[in-house]
Amino acid sequence: MSNPLLAIEHLRVDFPEVVAVNDLTLTVAAGEVCGLIGPNGAGKTTTMRAISGLQECTRGSVRVNGHELASEPDELKRQLGFMPDFCPTYDQLTASEFLDHFARAYDVPNRARRIDECLELTWLTEKTNSLCEELSRGMKQRLVLAKTLLPDPKVLLLDEPASGLDPLGRIELRKILLQLRESGKAVLISSHILTELSGFCNTAAIMERGRLVTFGTIAELGQKMGLRRMSVKWRAEGEKALEILKAANVKNLEAGNLGATFDFDGDNDALDELLKTLVVQGVRISEWRGSGDDLEQIFLQSGAKELM
Amino acid sequence: MKLFDNPIFITQKRLAHRAGVLAPILISALIGLSLLAGLIAYLADPGDFGFRSPQEAGKIFYGWIIGVEILMLVIGGFSKISRTLAEERKAGLWDSNCLTPLKPAQIVSGYWLGSPLREFYMAAVLAGTGLVICALARLPLALWPGTQILIFSTALFFGLLASLVGMAFQKPQSGILIIGALFIFCMPSLAFSRFAVINFLVPIYGIVNFFSDGNYSDRDWSGWPEIFGVSVPPILLSLGLQLVLGIFLWRAAIRKTANPFQPLLLRWEAIAIFALLIVSQQALIWNIWHGGFGLAHIREYQNNFDEGSLPAITHGGTILLGVLILAFASPLPERVRVEALRAGGGNLQMIFSRSAVSLALALAAVAAVASLTQFISSFSDEGIVWLITAANLFIFFLMFSLLLELCRLRFKRRALGFVALWLFVLCVLPLILALVFSNEALAKLSFLAPGVIAVSDSGADLKFLSGVTLAHFGVVVLLFLAWRQQWKLLLDRTASVPPVQN
Repeated sequence: MSNPLLAIEHLRVDFPEVVAVNDLTLTVAAGEVCGLIGPNGAGKTTTMRAISGLQECTRGSVRVNGHELASEPDELKRQLGFMPDFCPTYDQLTASEFLDHFARAYDVPNRARRIDECLELTWLTEKTNSLCEELSRGMKQRLVLAKTLLPDPKVLLLDEPASGLDPLGRIELRKILLQLRESGKAVLISSHILTELSGFCNTAAIMERGRLVTFGTIAELGQKMGLRRMSVKWRAEGEKALEILKAANVKNLEAGNLGATFDFDGDNDALDELLKTLVVQGVRISEWRGSGDDLEQIFLQSGAKELM
Repeated sequence: MKLFDNPIFITQKRLAHRAGVLAPILISALIGLSLLAGLIAYLADPGDFGFRSPQEAGKIFYGWIIGVEILMLVIGGFSKISRTLAEERKAGLWDSNCLTPLKPAQIVSGYWLGSPLREFYMAAVLAGTGLVICALARLPLALWPGTQILIFSTALFFGLLASLVGMAFQKPQSGILIIGALFIFCMPSLAFSRFAVINFLVPIYGIVNFFSDGNYSDRDWSGWPEIFGVSVPPILLSLGLQLVLGIFLWRAAIRKTANPFQPLLLRWEAIAIFALLIVSQQALIWNIWHGGFGLAHIREYQNNFDEGSLPAITHGGTILLGVLILAFASPLPERVRVEALRAGGGNLQMIFSRSAVSLALALAAVAAVASLTQFISSFSDEGIVWLITAANLFIFFLMFSLLLELCRLRFKRRALGFVALWLFVLCVLPLILALVFSNEALAKLSFLAPGVIAVSDSGADLKFLSGVTLAHFGVVVLLFLAWRQQWKLLLDRTASVPPVQN
């Protein structure tokens, strides 16, 4: 892994009567989108607030692009964009005035052009002169996202960014996140709606009751969990295929006329070997798909209890 | 960054203008012009009015201008700033601004000067009208600039206080409640004109003094106050107090903005603010006894009130101020627990150094030394009075700080109610029982009583008061034991948390 842009080590946050985040260590490198997954109350928002300095840490360290939160908070602020899970906007300002406020605060060069770019990126160009109070929740969400992107931060913390978005908005958000990933940003994104994160997260950190249950790339996690729900479809020789699968001791085999799904707990080599056996034995495979990169599966297998 | 480039200021200005400033300005102009019209009518036909001279008429009309100006700028501005901050904190905008690279000073000044812009415009219109009134009525040259300086400096001072209120309290209406309470608290001090420090901090004396002709009827409000016998212009005393306290408020606001987890007041700041106010108060009344409290007092002139009540009032005011400072500076137990966790565990010594109890001792020591100035020449005769007063201060501050922390530890969110209950039982209930049973001795059991009675009643039974003080000390010891037990429980809980491997 390249040098991480965001590095959290042994982070601990105490609330009265509860340890909100306990010994959390994770890193996010440039070009990585890390999904912070967990049920309500797992400590996702507290973690993000602690990274940005809005929540006091009891112990541990946070570094953003090499700048330590405790000793260089001002430098850290320039490198970090935080989008909270609600939409703080000045209701009596227009969308462009709202962005102008933050563009001035971040001393963004070519302010007007950058504001237009961010409005366009978040599909709010038509709402440039609309008052924030006239915007729908989803639009406000996008406006706050535009505000977060305005200073072009290296590290982005997005707390439930899709919670107010309609399906189209979610698709567009996914596109933006992929763009950010491509442009080398490090993104930590939280959600308890796991399907939101599938598709663009390279890594995932699963939290429960303040603790990190597991952390790694999606593929690593799939393997670590020992879960590999496979789906296979064939055109012919179905009976033979089923015999081979049973002989390979796959679990939870669900067979149909032209295919089957099953759990496979071996490593990648063993899986390749199984596919080779099927082909060599004359089974005409039309589809061979693993669902090991499904965050929902990972989450369910991780031991976190309260999936929303 | 200049103020006019400050994004917080620009945004607050935009918000103020979007909400509309023309109507409020017109209202101000109407009020000002009505008063100006009244003066012009008097000057044109003095017979229809009861004023003795154009100057008297001018002072009355300008006095109204000042009253409305104070209402708009000081009270309205205070309420606006605290409400804006509380609302923006609630909405998350405060956090968003704090996450930008703006310096804390820029954030604070943006709200402090930008949020009450509408009120400022209204006051500026009134001030302009006031200038015309002063000129037409040929009022003394110093009146308009002197009063306007005091009003605007007070608005700035209260604006800083409002910023802190907005940062410390969640509810937007807290500001108006606090300024209401402040003004109710100020009302009794009006009776003591130049002998009450509050009349200089809220520059009532300075403003009224500008209007004073030195007549017998307003002799309480004419002349300069004396600091340990040295006459000081009231405007300078007011500006000096506001400046020094304002610096502390500014530091607190900056610190809180830079790091919201820091306490509102550092310990030394709390002690310095307390010392400034208490020493100023003792200095203002020093000229009555010249350090010979208890001996016949040596004033050349009389006031419209009983000067003998001043030490008791000062003692009560000292207790009230100390309690307020202790309440604000007392750390929440949870915060101390987190610090103990960071330090890898805590002990009672660490708790004592961080808790309000050690601060209570420091405040009581400052107050005791300040009150000693009244006894310098009479200590050999009246030393026992000072001792009872000083002991009362120590006991009261200790009792309050122990009670506050004990209730916070024991009752958590319900702590405030229990503190109020116990303060009522220990301080007010004996007074009520004394009234109900017509028994004066019961009143002396109140925690407030020994100090107040010792300095106000020259024939007081000092032995009895000493006995009551000892009994109060016993209560404090019991509170201390309970307080120590509760902290021990909290520390044990902290120790039971498995250590984080760093």
